[in-house]
Amino acid sequence: MNTSPAPVVELRAVHKTYRLGQHVIPALQGVDLAVQRGELLALTGPSGSGKSTLLNLCGLIDAADSGQILFGGQPVQDLDETGRTLLRRDALGFVFQNFNLVPVMTVAENVDYPLFIAGVGAAERRDRVAAQLQAVGLQEHAAHRPDALSGGQRQRVALARALVKRPRLVIADEPTASLDSHTADQVLELMRERCHAEGAAFVIATHDSRLSQRCDRVLALLDGRLQ
Amino acid sequence: MKWLKFAVSNTLRNRRRSLVTVVIAALGTAAILLAGGFALYTYESLAQGAARSSGHLIVGLPEQFSKDEDTPLQYGLDQHAELKAALLADPDVRQVLPRVAFSGLISNGDKSTIMLATGVEPDSEFAVKGPFVNMRAGAVLESGSKNAEVMLGEGLASSLKATPGSSLTLLATTTDGALNALDVTVKGVFSSGVPEIDKRSVYTDIATAQKLLNTPRVSTLSVFLRRMELTDPTQARVAAANPKLQVQTWRDQAFYYQAVRSLYDRIFGALGLIIAVIVVFVVANAMAMTIVERTREIGTLRALGTLPRQLMGSLALEGMVLGGVGALVGAVVAVSVALLLYVVPVQMPPPPGSTVGYALNITIDPLMILTTVLAMVALAMLASAWIARRTVHMPVVQALAHT
Repeated sequence: MNTSPAPVVELRAVHKTYRLGQHVIPALQGVDLAVQRGELLALTGPSGSGKSTLLNLCGLIDAADSGQILFGGQPVQDLDETGRTLLRRDALGFVFQNFNLVPVMTVAENVDYPLFIAGVGAAERRDRVAAQLQAVGLQEHAAHRPDALSGGQRQRVALARALVKRPRLVIADEPTASLDSHTADQVLELMRERCHAEGAAFVIATHDSRLSQRCDRVLALLDGRLQ
Repeated sequence: MKWLKFAVSNTLRNRRRSLVTVVIAALGTAAILLAGGFALYTYESLAQGAARSSGHLIVGLPEQFSKDEDTPLQYGLDQHAELKAALLADPDVRQVLPRVAFSGLISNGDKSTIMLATGVEPDSEFAVKGPFVNMRAGAVLESGSKNAEVMLGEGLASSLKATPGSSLTLLATTTDGALNALDVTVKGVFSSGVPEIDKRSVYTDIATAQKLLNTPRVSTLSVFLRRMELTDPTQARVAAANPKLQVQTWRDQAFYYQAVRSLYDRIFGALGLIIAVIVVFVVANAMAMTIVERTREIGTLRALGTLPRQLMGSLALEGMVLGGVGALVGAVVAVSVALLLYVVPVQMPPPPGSTVGYALNITIDPLMILTTVLAMVALAMLASAWIARRTVHMPVVQALAHT
């Protein structure tokens, strides 16, 4: 009997196409992928290879045309939009290339937001936000607005926001693309550290070979197929 | 509370746009409240004028109100003294005034013209009703005068070239159908403010009217109450105690009040509707711009697990903040203007059919203010939610890709 835990997210023969006027563009063509708990997985490939589409499917913000997607061993095709939203809220974190922080919220409020919408109590939220900000080294900036921070600091806030809910999977789309190399190294190191500390799996789309080399596994996508 | 704080912060992102929205909502609210307050003041003035003229309640035989009389006072009240005493026993009744309404001719010897006359108890009538007519010459009637005296409307006095002290003759048909005449002296000349009434109107005391008509009857009893609000309960009580009589309220006889109210309700109702639509469009437009600008952020919040209804609620709260602040500012402006009008009176021109202007006043009605502010808030929230509904339900990938 196989007692190993189910992959955090698993894709089986997943196809996805986009329509652009009369043109049908195949974004993913029969992708099979399993991401294990605590794994730092890099997705590489040229622009248009399907990295973002694959991330969107893993992050449950898009749906496959065919094939099967399982999250924690459970198929997600049958979930309605509310079900997907609640699953994202409870089990998924996102780190975006352009940080996507809410400018009218302070650093602490940005990090607190996922806990707030999940209905976590105020006292617990306060403790967890403080712990995350300390983990990313931004406790001194808790009351600052994002526009008062550097790019690297903003991405660390985004990372804290993604991890504060203790997700099973973090989706990171080009997380270092907007950062200089030194800051990118710092952010990547932080991601590795938090990945292993929190036990969350990371799926990172990147063009940055230095980043991908430091991940646990690297998969290359070309024309919608995993190489 | 956190959603509200988020909403307030969001409204401050584009301060100029929010300020314009708030100002328009404030102006709209102030306009509605000022127009509504003016209408309420007009209704109150007309209602009090009508009740002061006719009495809060008018008691008479049912036929008095439904049929035309073949002879004067055919449907008049016989036992009116007893009825008056019984009515006065009611603690809510301040005064009961008998009235004799009749028509006939009035002559100065050379010229005769039609009159519409009312026989009253002068002292009680003028004590209860206060200065309901504007005396142009002479004095008001007095009870117990030895001479038969009349007060003439300004137009009628002018027509008959009558001044205080002039002798005139009243001619009317008695209750028996005979023609009767009575010499009277002009005590005073008045203006009711309505020229058409002043051309025909005559006041005399009840004894003179009954002597002319050769009857002890009166047409009706006018019942004056301590407060307007007592009208309906007292009507019910008096009607129950006098099943053979009909008890009308001032509303039943205030045709001018009803007409003005009907007209104003429509005019100000349409005005309020137009203003509300403008405010809704302005709020909706502001929210549309802000939502377009924040589509990507909305996509991010959706990706983080925010439900569409949570975002709709948040954006509706932004509408509430804009509409609510605007409505509150508008209410403050309206109340300030209303108070200012008491300090710095503004005179309005005479309305159609009248010769007398009136002071412009705005009634401050807390219920109307509360209702208007709440309506503005509700409309702003609904407009915001309506505008937001598409974006918050947009596919997350599409929202995140928005530029």
